[in-house]
Amino acid sequence: MPEYIRSGSVEEAVGLIAEHGSSLWIMGGGTIVMQVLESGADYWQYIMGLDGLALDGIERANGSWRLGATATATQIRAQPDLPALAAAARMVGGPALQNAATVGGNIYARSPQGDLAVVLLALDARLHLATADGEQAPSLGEFYDDWEAAGRTPPGLLTAIEFAEPAGEVVFMKCGRRRFNSASVISVAVNVAQKDGKVTEARIALCGAGPHAQRCAAAEEAILGGKLDDAAIARAAAAAAAACAPVTDTVASEWYRRRMVGVYLRRALAQLA
Amino acid sequence: MALKDLKIVGKSVRLRDLDTHVRGQTTYYEDVRIPRMLHLKMYRSPHPHAKILKIDTTEAAKQPGVVCVLTHEDMPGKKTFTPLAAIGVAPEDEPILAFDKVRWKGEPIAAVVAESEAAAKAAAPKVKVTFEELPAVFDVEEALKAEAPIVTPWGKNYYQYPDDHAASQIRYGDVERAFAEADHIVEDKYQTKPIEHAPLETTGCVAKPEGNGRYTVYTNIQALYFALDNTAAIVGLSPAKLRFVGGTVGGGFGGKVDIQVEPIATLAAIKTKRPVKYKYSREDEMRVSSTRAAWRIYVKDGVMNDGRIVARKITTYQDAGAYIRLSSYGTMKHAGHMPGPYTIPNVSVDAYCVFTNRPPSSAMRGFGVMSGSYAIELQMDKIAAVTGVDPWQLRLINAYRNGDMKAHRKAADDAALVETIQAAAQLAGQALPADFAAMSSDDRKGG
Amino acid sequence: MTTKVLRLNVNGEDTLVPVGPMATLQEVLRDKLELTSVKVGCAQGGCGSCSVLIDGELRLACLTPAEAADGCTVTTLEGLNESNSIVPIQQSFIENYAAQCGFCTPGMLVATKALLERNPKPSRDEIIEALSGNLCRCTGYLPIIKAVEDAAAALSGKQSA
Ligand SMILES: Cc1cc2nc3c(=O)[nH]c(=O)nc-3n(C[C@H](O)[C@H](O)[C@H](O)COP(=O)(O)OP(=O)(O)OC[C@H]3O[C@@H](n4cnc5c(N)ncnc54)[C@H](O)[C@@H]3O)c2cc1C
Ligand code: FES
Ligand code: FES
Repeated sequence: MPEYIRSGSVEEAVGLIAEHGSSLWIMGGGTIVMQVLESGADYWQYIMGLDGLALDGIERANGSWRLGATATATQIRAQPDLPALAAAARMVGGPALQNAATVGGNIYARSPQGDLAVVLLALDARLHLATADGEQAPSLGEFYDDWEAAGRTPPGLLTAIEFAEPAGEVVFMKCGRRRFNSASVISVAVNVAQKDGKVTEARIALCGAGPHAQRCAAAEEAILGGKLDDAAIARAAAAAAAACAPVTDTVASEWYRRRMVGVYLRRALAQLA
Repeated sequence: MALKDLKIVGKSVRLRDLDTHVRGQTTYYEDVRIPRMLHLKMYRSPHPHAKILKIDTTEAAKQPGVVCVLTHEDMPGKKTFTPLAAIGVAPEDEPILAFDKVRWKGEPIAAVVAESEAAAKAAAPKVKVTFEELPAVFDVEEALKAEAPIVTPWGKNYYQYPDDHAASQIRYGDVERAFAEADHIVEDKYQTKPIEHAPLETTGCVAKPEGNGRYTVYTNIQALYFALDNTAAIVGLSPAKLRFVGGTVGGGFGGKVDIQVEPIATLAAIKTKRPVKYKYSREDEMRVSSTRAAWRIYVKDGVMNDGRIVARKITTYQDAGAYIRLSSYGTMKHAGHMPGPYTIPNVSVDAYCVFTNRPPSSAMRGFGVMSGSYAIELQMDKIAAVTGVDPWQLRLINAYRNGDMKAHRKAADDAALVETIQAAAQLAGQALPADFAAMSSDDRKGG
Repeated sequence: MTTKVLRLNVNGEDTLVPVGPMATLQEVLRDKLELTSVKVGCAQGGCGSCSVLIDGELRLACLTPAEAADGCTVTTLEGLNESNSIVPIQQSFIENYAAQCGFCTPGMLVATKALLERNPKPSRDEIIEALSGNLCRCTGYLPIIKAVEDAAAALSGKQSA
């Protein structure tokens, strides 16, 4: 069994990550890490907890939001000014889990988990990663591209997630097996700005439709520049269903997920039409 | 007796252990404090069907904390069992630990006993078994074809009922003649899926040597004395040397009757002279504990224009998985149930208990019966659609009455279906015509 | 194998407990402190049978490394048993037949306690949501929800309709 370690500061944590490489595993709320350890995996020598680093603040200033990496789902669901993100936080497991689950850990969760990540993609969030080579600040989309390429090794310590006050309206919807505390079949987040009856900005993200939460360019293009009417919404839904790459697992089949991507994207966009 | 005179029926009865439940003081098997306990984890077959060429436990035995590794060679006497042998189910087909073959993915092969749960879990995958994979069969009708891979040791993929019958059978009246005379033939195929009981407490036990040649086994088995008898026979002790403590079960639903952990834990306790805990993880519970069987049911009914069912022919297949357990018994129950709660003068049932390379299925709340009812009641609605008879009335017309002979030659007594349907109709706000509302289980007037 | 000694306040008592690497709070509470109301239904966060309060907050003991709880206050059902606020909840569970095998019951009670502490007059939907992390395979959820409704009413001094 690995040893549980803590660090006194972000600098020290980054030092430990650099020193131990892949034999160290970062733990936020531990809701995923602890499951993996219980399943008998034993690659790691160290589990590094983040308690004590005070990374759990939620701040709003100068038109932007900053969520500390260890802010919990419970903290986030209590933010009335972030209704879509709060709605997603409310859908992460049950209340006891939400008291532990962090937003940082949600970024690294495997699809179909990642209910917070999908909203953060629609918000075009930027990550703050502390690494031995200094701070990196990739967008969440860029982060996922690199992460895939790098074989999913986290490049450092995620300290915060930042995004601008959304210009448009943001909607999150989740298709689960029951009303509360259900693994996602899929979830969708849309962030759409409209002016003079035309869509001027569109960010559409899907979770459960690929290896991690992902933007869906095909669906965005289907509504950009035009009126958000039934025809445009149907085009976006069809484009998303065609473009996504869901898996079959114990929660749902590939076929059903693909269907639900279309259905839920249509319902989410219809709320903004 | 009038309902108002009944003391218990129709009233809620308070469980005796509610008081300790709400205080967290009910003692489940795992809550008994037992010092110096060892933990057992099983190395299981990764293949649904394979020959075992070699079992090598040397590497596993060398892992830190490991006390011993048990295989079929450690069995003092018999290597196979079947839980209901005492009531005539045969043969003893299920290996306690696999020896020549594995017949389902998850079949136990080697038990790794270690100082801690983590040590046992880490060491179990180090058991090395050389397999020769065999073709597997996962479908009941495929399994009965001549060219199918053979699952059972006796060479037939079905349970052999007395007099070498391949199926549990019922023959009553003349089905073929009644079909010829019927106004309609309604036929269909029904399929149910396996269902996991998923009790909140997983299957497990602790076997503890008492130092005087006796062993106490704390267990959550639902069949305490079946487990005691079977364990005694497997570990080679007189039943008098075993004391089984149980009855407090964290959810069972039929999923904890298969006697899968007690014999091996007891054997390990005998070998190590230490208490041994063998508990399924949640993953084990989902993957290797038995399920409710899947059934494939073919129903053919002869029906008259007025809704009377005059003939029913059933061919039905239970997927028992790889071993008998409680399935042959479930198939018999199923066969008797297939006319349903209806009086049908001509019935023919062939119910096959079929073996495949799936995990063994076994008991679960009304096993054999629920799956049958699913098919029968869907069939009733189809008959209603074909004949145009109202579905409530259709059931009342066919419902058995006291004195009616059932297909398995037992006269109905204490029949209450008519009254139950009438009460249900009332609750559902469904008006019944006067003659239907006046029907009774005591006579067949109008039905 | 390194053993560390943790300082926990468990059910009102300061305790020093030696723990092995990555031991869960669940193991420590059950095996070291013999608080067996903390059940092990899944050890994966999925069932809620190990629900406890850490610094008053509802948590799953199976997903909590004991070392992460170092210095914290931990409350299990054993600790609540002595309190006036749990007795009406227990009574209500009994009166509503809200348990069968009882394996989920300690977790249900701890989650109910956490809910009523935060929200003394929850709506039916709020109750359903608050207990959504606690699975019961026997009873059916209706008697449990009713038990919580009645308990909330009793605790806030009015009778339920
Ligand atoms: C019963 C159950 C139900 C669940 N339901 C849902 C659900 O409905 N929706 C959903 O989205 N998820 C769900 N999850 C998954 C999980 O709880 C959440 O995704 C949660 O947000 C993960 O956060 P964590 O802090 O617990 O992650 P951890 O387990 O702490 O970490 C997860 C991963 O993130 C990495 N990590 C964490 N923090 C950092 C950091 N600051 N820097 C770098 N790497 C980091 C870890 O190294 C690890 O690889 C569920 C889990 C369980 C057990
Ligand atoms: S045992 Fe902790 S949630 Fe199931
Ligand atoms: S009473 Fe058995 S799980 Fe709830």
